[in-house]
Amino acid sequence: MKNLSKRLGTLALSLLGIGAVIIIWALAVRYTRIGLLLPSPWEVVKRFAYVCSHTIGKKYTVFGHLLISLKRVLIGFAAASVAGIILGISMGRFKMIEAIFRPIFEIVRPIPSVAWIPLAIVWFGIGENAKFYIIFMAGFVNITVNTFAGAKQVDENVLGAAYMLGASKLQAFFRVVIPSCVPYIFAGMQVGLSTCWMAVLAAEMVSSTAGIGWTITSGQENGDMVQIFVGIIAIAVVGLLMAVLMRWLEKVLCQWRERGS
Amino acid sequence: MDEKLQNTARKRRLQYRLISLCSILVFIGIWYLATAVLQLAPSYSLPSPVKVFQTFITKLTKTAPEGATLGQHFLASLQVAFTGYVLGVVIGVPLGILMAWHKWVDIIVRPVFDFLKPIPPIALIPVMIVLLGITIKAKAVLIFFSTVIPCILNSYSGIKQTKSIHLWVAQTFGASRRQQLFTIAIPSAMPMIFAGLRVAMGSSWMALVAAELLASTKGLGYMISVGRALLRSDLIIVGILCLGLIGIVISFLFDLLEKLFVRGGKER
Repeated sequence: MKNLSKRLGTLALSLLGIGAVIIIWALAVRYTRIGLLLPSPWEVVKRFAYVCSHTIGKKYTVFGHLLISLKRVLIGFAAASVAGIILGISMGRFKMIEAIFRPIFEIVRPIPSVAWIPLAIVWFGIGENAKFYIIFMAGFVNITVNTFAGAKQVDENVLGAAYMLGASKLQAFFRVVIPSCVPYIFAGMQVGLSTCWMAVLAAEMVSSTAGIGWTITSGQENGDMVQIFVGIIAIAVVGLLMAVLMRWLEKVLCQWRERGS
Repeated sequence: MDEKLQNTARKRRLQYRLISLCSILVFIGIWYLATAVLQLAPSYSLPSPVKVFQTFITKLTKTAPEGATLGQHFLASLQVAFTGYVLGVVIGVPLGILMAWHKWVDIIVRPVFDFLKPIPPIALIPVMIVLLGITIKAKAVLIFFSTVIPCILNSYSGIKQTKSIHLWVAQTFGASRRQQLFTIAIPSAMPMIFAGLRVAMGSSWMALVAAELLASTKGLGYMISVGRALLRSDLIIVGILCLGLIGIVISFLFDLLEKLFVRGGKER
């Protein structure tokens, strides 16, 4: 009973924090000059409810835009995961492949994924392919780096034990190397997914005709701050859901090893 | 016998290094062959490496076509990034520590940051433009946002991960709360805090490039966006490679700092 009331108290205080921010926001909009530029929280909430059933732009509701962005992210991210995991593991396990691909990868690695946007547009036009490419680059780098680190840190003793017990190279690879890489791969995929989500926004903001990033830029072009805020909130919610989903997947798939935090 | 083993290991390493060198050369060679000799791609979409190099050299001194040399763009980007970043670190790290150390601050402030965390700073660019224009201030505030959140989160979890045994030992020896914080909690959180600084650097650099792509009159991001508008991919590639190079230099500097300030293990 005491526990429950304590928890309720904590919850109330947490809500107090968020409530304070919203109230300050509302008061600032109402009583200062910021109100000329920023919408009030109520307007944003009202508009959000409105665009759930009405369209932003010509065709899609807010969910439609989110789905378009999500589709782009999923395709780019899936390709990036496959390529990143293969390259990361083979670079980590085979010295020769590392010697060949590492230097080229090290040149590509530090380039911020957003910086690829202009080049992608020149290469692929402003269609879907450019977006897939940008998202691919954003995810690929993170996933490869992490997988590579994981493949380097496979416990040689365990690997030796597997060989001693008569495992073939293939068996050792699938039973020892891959399972011990999986936590690292997941760490990379988590970071990768959130970078992909950021990259798709940037790509859509620079050039697109639909998608959640587009709702923000079109809001900017029309001077419609409420729409910008609706977009930001939708992005934040989806980003949060993605992070939660990845963490849950990790828990299910990597039961044998808990990664710190 | 041991020396012989070492010798072969050294030979191996040398061999791999040679292969690495060859692979870069082959890569550039293929690029050169495909563009300059065979002309598989039109030069506006993929220029030859020679052209890129030439552009790099001329951009060092010439201001055409977008009105600033490479050095000026570089300084403009760096100035903005540095202002926002330093502000973000100075506010974010202490706030994170405070949140972890005082329960009240934690309960009240934490949910606000849980709420702000998933918002990508890029999404805030239009808001910043409307509020502050396309000035340096707008970009600095944007960078501040993308810095402050990883800083807070990492120093928060760094302090939270302090081993309670260490704190108990300190308590047994009569350390005050303050002493516990400064001699135990903060040093043991240092690796986490540094990891946060690194993440913040990466995300703020990305936000800066995005901001410069969308609206600016100077900076490396602006340079590549002009390159796109004029279909000068040599300019874009020079810009991208410079951005990458700066990234390498910055992460090298971080390695140095980390060696100086962080004792014990490095947080991945």
